[in-house]
Amino acid sequence: MSDIDVLWGDVLKIFPVLGGLNTVPAEEVDEKVYENVRRHLSILGSVETFAAVVDLEIQSVIRNVLVPKFWKHFQPGVVASEQSASSGINDQALSIEALPDKNRLFTQFIDAINELYEGFQSLAHTKPRLVQLLGSEDKVPRSVKMLQVDGIKTCLRDSLLAQLPPTFSVVVGAFYWVHFKLFTKSSHLALATVDSDVFDELLCIGCNFDVELCCCQKLTEMVNQTNMKLFEMNLIDRLTGSALTALIKLKIKEHINDTCMGIFDRSHLKQLETWLSDVIMSWLTNIFTEWKSKDSIHDEEVPASVQSFKVKLTYFMYETFAQSVISQFFSIIIDYPDSIPAIDDLKICMEKIDMRVYLTESLRSSLEARILHPGVNTMDILTGYVAAIKAIRHLDNTGVILEMVTAPIKDYLRKRNDTVRRVVTGLTEEGPTDLSEELAKGETVKDGKESGLDEFSNWENWEPDPFGIDANVMQYNSSRVMRSADIISMVVDIYGSKELFMTEYRNLMADRLLAQLDFNSEKEIRNLELLKIRFGESLLHSCEVMLKDVTDSKRINAHIHGDSNRTENQLFDISSLIVSAQFWPSFNKESLQLPEELENEFKKYTKAYEAYKGNRTLNWRTVTGRVNISIEIGDRTLDMVVSPTLAVIIYHFQNKTEWSIEDLSTITKVPASALRRRLSFWQNHGLITESTPGIFTLLEKESEKSQFEEMSLTEADEEDLESAMASASDQREEELQVFWSYIVGMLTNLDSMPIDRIHQMLKLFASHSGGVEFTQDELKHFLQRKVREHKLIFSGGVYQLAK
Amino acid sequence: MKVTIKSWTGVATWRWIANDENCGICRMSFESTCPECALPGDDCPLVWGVCSHCFHMHCIVKWLNLQPLNKQCPMCRQSWKFNIH
Amino acid sequence: MAQNISPEQSGAGGGGSKHSDDSLPVKDNHAVSKRLHKELMNLMMANEKGISAFPDGENIFKWVGTIAGPRNTVYAGQTYRLSLDFPNSYPYAAPVVKFLTSCFHPNVDLQGAICLDILKDKWSALYDVRTILLSIQSLLGEPNNESPLNAQAAMMWNDQKEYKKYLDAFYEKHKDT
Repeated sequence: MSDIDVLWGDVLKIFPVLGGLNTVPAEEVDEKVYENVRRHLSILGSVETFAAVVDLEIQSVIRNVLVPKFWKHFQPGVVASEQSASSGINDQALSIEALPDKNRLFTQFIDAINELYEGFQSLAHTKPRLVQLLGSEDKVPRSVKMLQVDGIKTCLRDSLLAQLPPTFSVVVGAFYWVHFKLFTKSSHLALATVDSDVFDELLCIGCNFDVELCCCQKLTEMVNQTNMKLFEMNLIDRLTGSALTALIKLKIKEHINDTCMGIFDRSHLKQLETWLSDVIMSWLTNIFTEWKSKDSIHDEEVPASVQSFKVKLTYFMYETFAQSVISQFFSIIIDYPDSIPAIDDLKICMEKIDMRVYLTESLRSSLEARILHPGVNTMDILTGYVAAIKAIRHLDNTGVILEMVTAPIKDYLRKRNDTVRRVVTGLTEEGPTDLSEELAKGETVKDGKESGLDEFSNWENWEPDPFGIDANVMQYNSSRVMRSADIISMVVDIYGSKELFMTEYRNLMADRLLAQLDFNSEKEIRNLELLKIRFGESLLHSCEVMLKDVTDSKRINAHIHGDSNRTENQLFDISSLIVSAQFWPSFNKESLQLPEELENEFKKYTKAYEAYKGNRTLNWRTVTGRVNISIEIGDRTLDMVVSPTLAVIIYHFQNKTEWSIEDLSTITKVPASALRRRLSFWQNHGLITESTPGIFTLLEKESEKSQFEEMSLTEADEEDLESAMASASDQREEELQVFWSYIVGMLTNLDSMPIDRIHQMLKLFASHSGGVEFTQDELKHFLQRKVREHKLIFSGGVYQLAK
Repeated sequence: MKVTIKSWTGVATWRWIANDENCGICRMSFESTCPECALPGDDCPLVWGVCSHCFHMHCIVKWLNLQPLNKQCPMCRQSWKFNIH
Repeated sequence: MAQNISPEQSGAGGGGSKHSDDSLPVKDNHAVSKRLHKELMNLMMANEKGISAFPDGENIFKWVGTIAGPRNTVYAGQTYRLSLDFPNSYPYAAPVVKFLTSCFHPNVDLQGAICLDILKDKWSALYDVRTILLSIQSLLGEPNNESPLNAQAAMMWNDQKEYKKYLDAFYEKHKDT
């Protein structure tokens, strides 16, 4: 049987792998040996069978020897970070970063790959030998898988993947991380401006060794070789793909953070795209192909897989960038208009990627967190609102996003009761505030009807509304054109109606006029003109009348003072603001009775007025006004300007130094509670003291001065202004009463009506200017209440009066 | 102690001296305007008839113009004559 | 197009228009509409018994009114519907008032037209919906038999018992039109 042994020896010479050796056979084998083996095999059996045996043997070597040996390098114990073992695919990127010793893993990986490659090489040699054995390529039987094209590679790959340990991706990540660092070292150096002294002491960025010992070059070579081996073994895609992607995504995120975070006044997209293709893509091409230097790449040579990779990565980059911008959008709003480039970038991103919903949600929540809470004062919220409008409108012309994002702001602002006041103040204040600028631009507000025409004439350019709009929001604003209204309207729109806004404006104007009593009306007139242009005349009609009253009063005053008859025997000068009561907000119900001497003066003035203006007379509102008085007490003289009530109080103390609250209240017709408040003013000045509870005494001597000395006009209480409107709930109650009478009237005369007609009629006939909207839902509740009270009957979809 | 009032700036509302609050013809307050005017007071004055009924001047003038025959006070049907004093 | 323009929407309303004494107030719907709104409000707030009226639809120039037959008359317990059509020149011209519910009355004809002096030559700008409805209501109990539109009713009026019998039957037959 030595023949068999000899035969076996020959076979082994040809196929060392059968003997368990997976090293590359050194010698070339003679053709004679092939002949010999062939002859013997054909005697023993078929050569094909033998080929099948070889095939199986190769497979088993791969599966049981090569692959496990390879994976042994990456046992969980070997890889230091335990967390990465349990992290999912998504955390691959994180775990790569978290690796404590990437360099070690890097070398491990290289070694392992080298080993694998050697084994591969040895196996790769079997095929040509088998072919030689069989005589020609055609004789290779189909069933021998290993000898098919790339058979070994496929088997290797499949086996590797079948036995993939969980930590492998981590290692791959480490490998490529180091590779990337090396690759980008030169560009990093270019970006960094480091002092040459310091530079020497730094570790080399690429290899973490000292600069002098830099072995980047060698490392790069090693990496390139490993890559080539991987490529040859066809392992690049399947084995390394996901780790690579994760790493790249991480790098992209890092890069975006480094270069774009916080910088809004430059456009970043171009730079990012350039970076992506220069750095990332060339790196990838490096890995996936076999070229050596960066400069020699051309587009046609880049393989298709890399190209498709590029598309995915570009998309990812845009998405990440957009997310980064969106997360900083609040700061962008604040920085407007400096941040316009960032918004433009975002616009481009959003054309490629639909991030509308994300944007809206993110913006809404950040706004809510940052400004819609009690810690922020109303003016700031308003400023933020205006800035947000500008910024978002720049981003999205259609106004859809704006609507959805600003809806909560509007709701919140409505709840703050000083909002209108602030808006009006902002509109009319001195100095360039945002609002007054907008007002001064003097654009006309588009009335719904007019712009409807525009819309129809522009039908060719009509576009459907963008996708993803919240249906609730769309209910309120059906017309596209209304959304393009300018900022002033948006601010006024907080209340949903111009009327309420105008009413508040009117009230504030009344306050202002009454407070100053002799001011410069030019500015008021100018503002009024601007508001009129914007909102139409009729709403502001009463404001005009108020201003006219002011100018008329000045004229009347001048006339009466010029009348010499009157100025004789005059105790003091009276000037007045004469108002047309119907056009001013209603005054509150306070009263003040003047002492006789003072009253007479007013009577004289009234007479003079009656003589001047036939058929007319004056009703004095004594409690409002300003009195210039001078008090001589003890050895001091106080010159003050106070409200009439205060003046009258101290006047009474001339005649009687001691007053009880009740007496004083009777003679002044001021209720005791209000009186007490006024008295405290004089108490603070040290003129009066409450000697016994309920009794107030004049202090002639200068006693201990309170710390409120030297008060000026502003201390005088400002409560002598009207409270224009009753509390909101009272108003609502009143309104409901009115509505009820209207509903009764309707149903008496028109029999039965469905709820929407009732609502319509109420809106047409029963609403008054300045009223808050009464929605159909509220109406429904109200009507149902009446049904429960047996005042109405609801049947067949219509309401009727109960018989 | 002596309190001297040097000057007083007060507020007053003006009203027409009439025995009614609203103009019977337009139903608006006398201190407001007739339906066609913008500014009250001098620009939209009241007039009295010899029967002592008063209306917005513009209102009564319109009424008189629309009466084909004898001009009558809408309130009392007496012959209307402006009371100018 | 609706004839009533609410004051908020009309930009030119009431803005200092010039008057020439001969101009007819045809152009100015706004003033009439304003007055009608005021009347409606007063009517609603007054909540008077026996009479009521409300605009019929979106047009404030067209109302529907309801009057109850006055007590102690043959019309007691009955309710009548009327239509009121206000002209542009209201209140300088009278509204056109007709019975919607067929009414058997000496001064009311088969089409519902009413012969009432204040609605014609005795009209005054001081009259309003309330006074009109009240007048018609009292007309029911006090017809003017000298110039009747319904001769049969005029003749029957003197025999109140017969009149009531006929009226009740008539009312029953026609009240739901």
